[in-house]
Amino acid sequence: MNPEDVRYHKEHTWVRVSGKKGTVGITDYAQDALGDIVYIDLPEVDSDVEANSEISEIESTKATSSVISPVSGKVLEVNEDLLETPEIINEEPYDKGWIAVIEIENDSELDDLMDAAEYGKYVEEESK
Amino acid sequence: MKLAILGAGPGGYVAAIRAAQLGAEVTVIEDTEVGGTCLNRGCIPTKAMVASSEALSKARELDKFGIELRGELVPNLARIIERKNKVVSTQVKGIRGLFKSWGITLKEGRGRLTSQKQIEVTTKDGSTETVEADAIIIATGSRPAAIPALPFDGKNIITSTEALELTEIPSSLLIVGAGAIGCEFACIYRELGSEVTLVEMLPRAVATEDIEISELLEKELKKKKIKLLTGIKIDKAEIKSDGVHIFLSDGRELIAGRVLVSVGRALNSGDIGLEAAGINSGSRGEILVNNKMETNIPGIYAVGDVTGGILLAHMASREGLVAAKNIMGISNAINYNVVPAAIFTSPEIASVGIREHQAAEKGIKYKIGRFQFRALGKAHAMGEITGFIKLIAEESSDKLIGAHIIGPHASDLISEAALAMKNGLTIRDIAETIHTHPTLAEGLMEAAEDLHGEAIHVPKK
Repeated sequence: MNPEDVRYHKEHTWVRVSGKKGTVGITDYAQDALGDIVYIDLPEVDSDVEANSEISEIESTKATSSVISPVSGKVLEVNEDLLETPEIINEEPYDKGWIAVIEIENDSELDDLMDAAEYGKYVEEESK
Repeated sequence: MKLAILGAGPGGYVAAIRAAQLGAEVTVIEDTEVGGTCLNRGCIPTKAMVASSEALSKARELDKFGIELRGELVPNLARIIERKNKVVSTQVKGIRGLFKSWGITLKEGRGRLTSQKQIEVTTKDGSTETVEADAIIIATGSRPAAIPALPFDGKNIITSTEALELTEIPSSLLIVGAGAIGCEFACIYRELGSEVTLVEMLPRAVATEDIEISELLEKELKKKKIKLLTGIKIDKAEIKSDGVHIFLSDGRELIAGRVLVSVGRALNSGDIGLEAAGINSGSRGEILVNNKMETNIPGIYAVGDVTGGILLAHMASREGLVAAKNIMGISNAINYNVVPAAIFTSPEIASVGIREHQAAEKGIKYKIGRFQFRALGKAHAMGEITGFIKLIAEESSDKLIGAHIIGPHASDLISEAALAMKNGLTIRDIAETIHTHPTLAEGLMEAAEDLHGEAIHVPKK
C-alpha cells in the first residue's frame, strides 16, 4: 500500500526523487488521519524550505496541521490544482495529490528518511 | 437640571436618555442625523452590507447544503445599499422615538459653545438660536482621518462613508489601512466581486489584535484572493484615465479603480467652541477628561471618540452613561479594564483583555487554552468550521485576563468572556459552567478545559 518508489519522513510526508528534483506530498496515513481536506496553503515558488520544517499548512474538517518537508532546497513548482480541489490529496496522496517539487540541496538528507517497509512499521507503532 | 448634549451619536444619545430617565431636562444638538457615525456611517450600515455579502457567500455554497440553484447569483449593489439605508432609517426612527418618549428636545443644526453655559445652534437654513444649559456633554465624535499622499475627492479616493454609498461594484479596490474598517470592507467588496488589495503600514493585518488572530485572518484573506501588502506606506497617488495610480514606498506602482482610505479616525474637536468655554484639549485635539468624564470646566463633560480614548461605539455609550449619572448627582467612574471589541470580517474577530504578546511583555505568568471551531458538531452543522477560541489566564489565580476569538459569531461569543473578566471569574468557573449543546459557545467551555489539559474534544497531546 505504501509505494516503494518514495522515501518517507516521520512527520508523514514523502519525497519521490528524480535526479535533483524531489516531489513532496503527505502519506496515505496522514490524509486518513486528517480526514476531508478543505484547504492547503501552498509554499511560494522560488522560496527555500528546510528539511524538518513547515513547507505548507493543511486544513481538514478535523484539524489544521503543518506539512513538514522531508528535504531542504528551493521550491521549483507547486501543485496549483490543490487550491481549487484540495480533496485530491485524500484521493491520490502519492500521485495527483503531490504538493511541491523541491530542488534537493543535500542528497544525504535522503538517508535520514525511511523506505516503505520501515515506514509501514513506524506507522504501526504510532497507531498502537 | 438643564442638560445640553452636543452630538447624538452612541455617546450623546445614550447619555441623553439616561439623564432624562434620571429627571434631567435634555436638549440634544445634532448637525447630521441621530445615531452619529455608528448608525449612519459606521457600525450598522457596514453590518447591513456584511449581511448581504454573507448571504451571497452562503448562496455560493448552496450546493453543499443540498440545495440546487437554477439560475445565476447576481449581487446588485444599488439594492444592497437600499436595504442598508432602510436598516439605518428604521434605527434612526427608533432613536427619535425614544427621544420623544423621554421628552428629549432634538435641535437639528450645528452647535458651538459660546460660553461655559451656552451653545449656539446654526440650522441648515442659516438661522441661529442659543441653548442655555446647567451642564453640557460634548459628544462630537470623529471622522475618517486623511493622509497627505491621498487627498479625498469623494469619487476616486474615498472614505468609509462613500464606500457605503457606491452604486457600482468597483472592478478593483485598493484599501489603504488593514485595520478593522479596511479589513471589513475588503471582505465585503471581495465577496461582491471586486479585486481587492490591502496596503498596511504595520507588519500585520488587524495589528492591534493577538498575533495568532492576525495570522489566521491573513490566511483567510489569502484564501479569498485578497492581496495583503504589509509594512508598506503610500508615497503618492495620481488619478489617470485608467484609474488611480498608487506609488508604494517599496517602489511598486499599483492601479485601482477606487482607493478607500481607512487609516484611522480624526477627532471632531475643532470649531465647536472649546476655546470660548476654556476647555483643555491634548495634542491630537482630544478633549481631556477625568474618570468621571469631566473636562477641566465644572459642568462640562466630554464622552466618546472626541476624548481620544478607545474609539468604539459601546465605549462612547458607557462613557455617556457615566457622564449622565455624574451630572445627575450619582457619582460614577469609567473603567477601561474590560472592553470587548469586534471586527466583522469573514470570519469574525472579537477580543477582550490582554493579548498574549502583551502578557509576555509585561512579564505576567500566564497559561493559554485553545479550541478549534472545527472540533464542534454545531460548527460542522452550520458549515462554518474556520477559526478558534484562545483564552489567556493568569497562572497563579486562574483568572481570565484575555479572550480572543476568530470564527463564526465571534462578536456574540465574546460577551461571555467579558462577563467572566468583569467579575474576576476563573478558567475553572467557565469550564464548570454547563454550556448548551449544540452551540458555538461550547467552544469557550472547551477552550477553558483545554487550558488545564482537560478538553473533551481535543486528542491527547
